[in-house]
Amino acid sequence: MLAQAVKQIAHVDMDAFYVSVELLYRPELRGQPVVVGAPGDQRGVVAAASYEARAFGIHSAMPSRTAKKLCPHAVFLPGNYELYEQWSERVRTVFERFTPVVHMVSIDEAYLDLTGTERLHGTAWAAAQKIQRAVWEETQLPCSIGVAQSCVVSKVASDLAKPRGLLWIPVDAEAAFLAPLPVRRIPGIGKVTEKTLAGLGVRTVGELARVKREKLEEVFGQWGEALYRKARGRDADLWFLDEEQKSISHERTFAEDVGDAQQLDATLAYLAELVGQRLREARLYARTVTLKLRYENFQTLTRALTLNQPTDLDVVLYEAAARLFRRNWNRKRKLRLLGIAAGQLDAAPGQLSLLDADRHARREKLTAAADAVRNRFGADALRSAKSLLRKPTH
Amino acid sequence: MEFSVKKFDLLRELQLVQGVVERKTTIPILSNLLVEAKKDQLWIAATDLEMGIRTVLPAKVKKEGAGTIAARRLFEIVRTLPDAEIKFKGLENNWVELRCARSRFKLVGMARENFPALPDFPHPLVKIPAVILATLIAKTSFAISMEESRYTLNGALLQLKPDSITMVATDGLRLSHIETSHRFNGLNTEVRVLVPKKALTEVERLLKEVEDKEEVQFARDDSHLFFKVGERLLISRLLSGQFPNYEAVLPRENKSTVVLERDQVASAIKRADLVADQRSHAIRMALDKNKVEIFASSAEYGEAHEELIPPKPYNGEAMQIGFNATYLLDFLSAAAAGPISFEFKDDQTAGQMRPLGEEGYKYRYVVMPMRL
Repeated sequence: MLAQAVKQIAHVDMDAFYVSVELLYRPELRGQPVVVGAPGDQRGVVAAASYEARAFGIHSAMPSRTAKKLCPHAVFLPGNYELYEQWSERVRTVFERFTPVVHMVSIDEAYLDLTGTERLHGTAWAAAQKIQRAVWEETQLPCSIGVAQSCVVSKVASDLAKPRGLLWIPVDAEAAFLAPLPVRRIPGIGKVTEKTLAGLGVRTVGELARVKREKLEEVFGQWGEALYRKARGRDADLWFLDEEQKSISHERTFAEDVGDAQQLDATLAYLAELVGQRLREARLYARTVTLKLRYENFQTLTRALTLNQPTDLDVVLYEAAARLFRRNWNRKRKLRLLGIAAGQLDAAPGQLSLLDADRHARREKLTAAADAVRNRFGADALRSAKSLLRKPTH
Repeated sequence: MEFSVKKFDLLRELQLVQGVVERKTTIPILSNLLVEAKKDQLWIAATDLEMGIRTVLPAKVKKEGAGTIAARRLFEIVRTLPDAEIKFKGLENNWVELRCARSRFKLVGMARENFPALPDFPHPLVKIPAVILATLIAKTSFAISMEESRYTLNGALLQLKPDSITMVATDGLRLSHIETSHRFNGLNTEVRVLVPKKALTEVERLLKEVEDKEEVQFARDDSHLFFKVGERLLISRLLSGQFPNYEAVLPRENKSTVVLERDQVASAIKRADLVADQRSHAIRMALDKNKVEIFASSAEYGEAHEELIPPKPYNGEAMQIGFNATYLLDFLSAAAAGPISFEFKDDQTAGQMRPLGEEGYKYRYVVMPMRL
């Protein structure tokens, strides 16, 4: 068997991300219990809570009314998801300076594969310190980082390090680190698994690690195999750490569900620009475009098409996404999310077009010129007119 | 309605109309054939509303009449019947009885009134020799776009002039163009029509059933094209829209040329393609004075290097150019055996290929390179 290369993974988790972003704009609220989510007197839930609010027992997904009861003087903010995504994007660009393998698992959380970056940034531990400092200096947003040899352990570590902490688990300390922790600390283990494990007399990770693989598979099926690995600090799968990037995507959850065709079209144009920019930054060309729609009732639909010619151009991505959108959107229903993914990525543009050669060359020039402006004056300095039709939400 | 036909006569016609029968079952009558017994003939019609086909075979007609029968079912039944006479008889409620040797079926039918009327064959515009039409289709139709969104590329352009006929097809990445001289009596203007790919496929099928010297009667009305091949008639909806101005992309300055034998270059490309990236089929051609090399590589399969020695030296600057192997092979298998002239300008503009052994036809293939 081939020796497996030792991985160095950092899990970066932004501390109370939504709240931290809000505080950039409302510094007077610093130090106060702040909640982002539905107002305290209305139906709806808490999306994020400041550490001051958490001290009162408020946590995300809790009904806002309950939160209000726990802390009547907490400040409730409605949330501006577009803004959070913009800041998430800024944070991501900081990450990408440290390693090309960045996997944003959500808007405020990412795995960074630091393997092989030692010469540039020193040990993974040193790199993590630099990352935390760089994120703070460039965005004024706090984060916590866990460093370990697997995603599982790095995530557990960042969780324990919060807020504004750094935790490094050397390989020989992993078992000792995990053993005393309750099984719920392991990502993926929820209430149900916890309860089943408790039935087997297993409450800590250490106890879980002593259960035979066969036993776990017998009780949990395939999930048992994953548990067996996780208990040992090994990842169940490393799919996102592939050398090759599989796709580049952006999606937008609307603050309020949207049914207005123009608004949705403008959002598609905007998303296509974000995806296009990232393709060009990475010098990749996409062969497929996937559209993701999520209706009010969470019914989610993804539809893809293959392009005639691989592309890194916003306008081509937009046209493909808009075509998929026209074909698949049920106009009677409002959407809560739209997303665009560019897939089947290639390092070369590949097949050139015969009939559109001139138009394509013009579009390439235009895009290059627009990128030059954006590089100089910022991402929002130049946008397509279509994408500017989006309604501001802040 | 009551008639009898010979199994093989019927089977041949049923086979020819299957391609036109609607596959989806949204409009049930379209899965049926219209059969009409008249005098001593049986007429069969099928349509999917995009195309229609009408064909005829000899029959012993006891009682004239018409009915409809499920096309696919009938074909499957007839195919396995013994080689004998098949008797049909219309029953109550549009049912049809079928008897052959010791087999007997009663088949559900639908009212013939529900079957859409096919347009009548108008006065023919020209007669095209079957062999010419078959050649034109075989050498261009592979380049037709399958992308539904570019519907004007979903067919081939047929251009008729008083003394020539041309067919052009492109999917936006490569273009196949063939022209031949032929005197069309009675034609004094230019006719340009877009023929859908599906119609070409069906016409090609009908052409295989007739002698080369047979002539195809071609006609059109405002919205249909008609190809009458012998007694069989294929009707297609006209593809509306503007075919791209293809003349603008035909290369004029491809002065760097090299001539290679079709079979040699085709098998070299085929072999190299085996280890090429299976998604892009990218290969690289390196042209030098006295040799042409073909390279391909992929992480999965490895590398290939093929070397060809042209009979006459390549006359241009040494260069490398990338292509999709599939596009080159499509053309090479359609081209006549013998020498093929490869003509280039640079690695960013379209290359042109012309078979020199194509007798009586001016055939050229234009293909955009890949940037590798």
